[in-house]
Amino acid sequence: MVLTLIILYVITLIYLSTVERFRNYTSIIAVQGWILLGIALLQLHTLNWVELGFVILETLIFKAIVVPAILMNVIKKTNINRVSTSSSSSQFNSQMLSIAALVVSAVTTYYVADSRVHMLFFGVALYALLSGLILIVMRSRIFTHVVGFLVIENGVFLFSMAIGVEMPILINMAIMLDILISILMLGMFLTKVDDKIHADDSDSLTHVKD
Amino acid sequence: MNIYIFFALWLATAASTLVARSRRMVHILCGCYLTIHAVFIDSLLFRGRYLSTSGAFFTFDEAGTLFYILLAIVALFVFRHSEEYLKDDAIEHYRLYFSLLMLLTTAITGVYFANNVAITWILLEATTLCGAGILYYRRSKPTLEATWKYLFVCSTGIAIAYLGILLLCAAAENASLNYTELKTLLANGNPLYLKVAFILILTGYSCKMEIFPLYTIGVDANFAAPAPASAMISTGLVNAGFLAIFRIYKLFADTPVFDWVKNVILATGVLSLIVGALFLRRTNNYKRFLSYSTVENMGIAAIGLGIGGIGVWAAVFHVVCHSLIKSSLFLQIGIVRHIYNGYRINRIGDYININKVGAIGLMAGMVVILAFPPSPLFVSELMILAETITAGNWWLTALMMLLMCIVIYSVCQRIIKLCYQPNQDELHISNINRRLSYSALILLIGAIIIGLWQPAPLKEIIDTISTL
Repeated sequence: MVLTLIILYVITLIYLSTVERFRNYTSIIAVQGWILLGIALLQLHTLNWVELGFVILETLIFKAIVVPAILMNVIKKTNINRVSTSSSSSQFNSQMLSIAALVVSAVTTYYVADSRVHMLFFGVALYALLSGLILIVMRSRIFTHVVGFLVIENGVFLFSMAIGVEMPILINMAIMLDILISILMLGMFLTKVDDKIHADDSDSLTHVKD
Repeated sequence: MNIYIFFALWLATAASTLVARSRRMVHILCGCYLTIHAVFIDSLLFRGRYLSTSGAFFTFDEAGTLFYILLAIVALFVFRHSEEYLKDDAIEHYRLYFSLLMLLTTAITGVYFANNVAITWILLEATTLCGAGILYYRRSKPTLEATWKYLFVCSTGIAIAYLGILLLCAAAENASLNYTELKTLLANGNPLYLKVAFILILTGYSCKMEIFPLYTIGVDANFAAPAPASAMISTGLVNAGFLAIFRIYKLFADTPVFDWVKNVILATGVLSLIVGALFLRRTNNYKRFLSYSTVENMGIAAIGLGIGGIGVWAAVFHVVCHSLIKSSLFLQIGIVRHIYNGYRINRIGDYININKVGAIGLMAGMVVILAFPPSPLFVSELMILAETITAGNWWLTALMMLLMCIVIYSVCQRIIKLCYQPNQDELHISNINRRLSYSALILLIGAIIIGLWQPAPLKEIIDTISTL
């Protein structure tokens, strides 16, 4: 069952590199939230009820419902729908990079293979991290950068499950910070960035430099 | 007294400041906040708390105590200068600023004393949250941009560092995250895990220590924050980043990959020094200029760690003295902004005739930050250079000398320009300028005294800290 969910998670990451519309990004983030909930329930059943409840609260309420809802709100408010207006080459590059990231993650996982780390989780978490970074680097819109950050956060969460099963404090701390930072960033995006700087190209965020 | 009680008191004061109705009340609460710090220092130094442990997650060790005392000293000046610097602003912004400054100082204090890798990480992330609020103080487009970037890059960096911590955890068989216990556990850790963990943690924490690769965000933060807060960010927060990396560095001392770790941190230091030296020439803003000086100095400290031996002692000493000098310079540059209402290098000048004390403070600061005797940085840089020569790293010695020449030229040119070039901007002179300039000079004089005479307790404490 866990394997199925992990494969589904990888598919969402691959799909992430092919989509262009912001609504699709939001859907992917929501789906990832649900998948992480399933994985957490299956993987962390040894935790006590309070800790498990905390994890469920984060994955279900926060990752699967609240964050996608805020993202949809941003889309409605800003009326921006697509990643880029003229990006067929960037789209192709991003897909190629995503495939390369998948290969790199698989190869790294093979070499890192060790009984102490759940290798499947490690590989997928690494792929999620690279996918998030690719999104941030390859796409020019601020909205996509936020999605990239959320993908990285999901990867970190997955990775903490690969290692931190015996250390619930780590997972809980990561979750707490995850919630705080994501809400702050999204809140700022929603209320401030769009008012003063258009939530359009990140080119509008290049005034503070030397 | 337990550190948690102090944390509770600091947080309560910060919360009270947030709802204070008048400036006078804010000032009283700032006084209370600093008094609690004074009581804490008293309990550390004179009531037997030094070297003890508080709860499961905090230890008042040598490194934490030394950097904490520095933080408290800098905070005293930062709070005082902030009161004057922001006195014309709306009370809502004013109290929010001080509340966030208190939270930032508290979070940094926690980082210094944390004895657990995860707690260090959490509190460093907490500094991001507090720092972001301070950066957005002016509520202008550039500060919003800087805040957005700061939040985004720091969060991504800290997430990457978290991956490193998890790998470190795996290398230690999930047994403990306490620094002392981890050191033993990691001695036989998987070398590949250890290497990847170190790279990830160094990358993540570099945004706090203002070294390569995520140094840019620290520069933007210093640019956007009010100048007194920049003094705190460029010293207290940078020291927190340094200490976080230094504690990880010490964890690796008994591992088989320590030589590799030293090479990585050496490369990071050299790259930071290169970036700092080159951008000191390029920028047209005095605050960014001082920030690149921080990048350069942290690069030198990283080189000290990278070459090892006496370089480790020199690195710690360098960071300690840099805190006093850089905070003095940022406070002086805050007064410059008060007078010129800007930091544009090409436009403002004639400072020597406008505020003589401030100009002398800046020029003395220039001499000291450039490590000319009697600067304490002369001692640390000489030690680092001596160690590179002893180790036969002639290329490194030559490169460092070349880059330091560029730094000397850039800093002298910029500061002398500010003092003597004809001014093209409107002036806003007031009586407080001279008083604040004198007050900022005190920190610089403290640094010069340490340069001339290092007290035995300071030497001993740095000896202990630098023992791997």
